[in-house]
Amino acid sequence: MDINVAIVGYRMQSAPDLVTSRERLVFELTRGLFDDLGIERTDVDTTILDSNDFMDGRTISNVFIDPPAGVYMRDESKVEMDAANAVIYACMRILTGQYDTAMVVGIALTGSQASPYLYIEYTLNPTYERQVKLLNEVNAAAFQARSYIDRFGYSERLLDDIAALSLANAALNPNQARRISGITADKVAASAMYYEPLRELHCYPPTDGGCALLLASERKAKELTDKPVWIKGMGMSTETYYLGERKLYQSSSAAEAAQRAYELAGVKKPAQEIDVAEISALFAHQEPLLAEAMGLMGEGKAEQAYAAGETAIGGKLPINPSGGALGAHPVSVTGLMRVAEAARQLRGEAGDNQVKKAELAVVHGQDGVCAQQNAVLVLGI
Amino acid sequence: MGAPEETYFTPVVPMDFTYNYRVGPYITRYLDGFKDKKILGSRCPGCGLVAVPPRKYCGVCNKVMEEMVEVGQEGTLENFTVGHVTIEKGRLAPAEAPYVLGLVKLEEATSALLARVGGIAPSEVRTGMKVKAVWKDEAAGDYDDLDHFEPV
Ligand SMILES: [Zn+2]
Repeated sequence: MDINVAIVGYRMQSAPDLVTSRERLVFELTRGLFDDLGIERTDVDTTILDSNDFMDGRTISNVFIDPPAGVYMRDESKVEMDAANAVIYACMRILTGQYDTAMVVGIALTGSQASPYLYIEYTLNPTYERQVKLLNEVNAAAFQARSYIDRFGYSERLLDDIAALSLANAALNPNQARRISGITADKVAASAMYYEPLRELHCYPPTDGGCALLLASERKAKELTDKPVWIKGMGMSTETYYLGERKLYQSSSAAEAAQRAYELAGVKKPAQEIDVAEISALFAHQEPLLAEAMGLMGEGKAEQAYAAGETAIGGKLPINPSGGALGAHPVSVTGLMRVAEAARQLRGEAGDNQVKKAELAVVHGQDGVCAQQNAVLVLGI
Repeated sequence: MGAPEETYFTPVVPMDFTYNYRVGPYITRYLDGFKDKKILGSRCPGCGLVAVPPRKYCGVCNKVMEEMVEVGQEGTLENFTVGHVTIEKGRLAPAEAPYVLGLVKLEEATSALLARVGGIAPSEVRTGMKVKAVWKDEAAGDYDDLDHFEPV
């Protein structure tokens, strides 16, 4: 890319219930971000807000968060999909050369004020699936999980191991909503069964959360921070909708999105070159499934990789050292939180979750039924 | 003076209105087929996909699908899940009893159909099983006419 764009600051928080309003959450995130960077609202050239009309129960839902975000009489528009897409659009705005700074803000109160399951329930085909009334987000994910473990002959225990590792990382991370002390695979296996093979702790928790991020051109980034995190590559891809026509054990769209991002970033061998990955796995099986698609794990190697601790914080290629989306999934904010968590790693600010050598990261966001849409970014220092 | 002591209340704001969706000729013909207890799909002239239920565009190669075909009443259970909860209007709740949902690949179809699986204990269900359609006695041209699939 001709213009270099960096992440220069971030703020995030999540909880099962943040005991807040949407406006207040946005104000606290953005005011906090401005104070961190010593800037005012007029220093933000353009903004992309990420909120969802359906989940906010209000059309043009950005109208009521524009003022607390300080973006009135500024250049602003909204994304309703996962906010990893919003980061890509914000980066593109800076790449036009018209802007030096771009802010991304995402919020969702899908822990305390609206059910996260509504999001997928009401994306289903209204003339078919919503008439037949059988499909929902979690049973669709259960089909995907079954397809994945059957394909490679894995035991269902793999799901417990993946979730236990993610949740142990989440327990160390103050940004996460679901923090269970002393989590083990056995405790995961003892949680309530939802749709076989998926249990409660294999699934994301209903979460309130938000995240604000400031991007800047190289010139401006150097004024604002001595720890810029560069956006080196980005890509998106969407696959066909109907579950019955998809190979659920793989994600061809995540593979294509990652390929685009790696190409821009000049990454040729992701499994060797990437130091840390933050993947929006809303359900345990999606972590290795997406890691395979993104070239981070060999096909059929998941049991081996988790048993050897390859993806742990101290492992060969740490995946979701933050705890990932099993720790928090504010609907549509999750990909943005992955970006912020990767920046936290690359800046050496990740505390107990810190990976030793973190110089090049890959980040993933998803949307739709069984990750129909995927967005991938490569970040580096 | 500090900020006032906080009190929280959560007003409930129901959304209560109706959307209309035009279904189009493909689903109309699918449901017409149900009246005769037939399952229709559409065949893609590009890649050969037979989509059930039928629709105009191929989700694989983007060609127009015009040919309607009747697919078999029997097929293979490609995938299944045993539900221990239900999710309705966003509310996840324990199910009264475990129930089985399956993705069934019907003979002559290339896409799988989501349906209930019955006539078998949930613990006995396996992928790869042969299953057949079970219809309601009186078919009225509704989605409900195709009640479930059971082992052959
Ligand atoms: Zn086709």
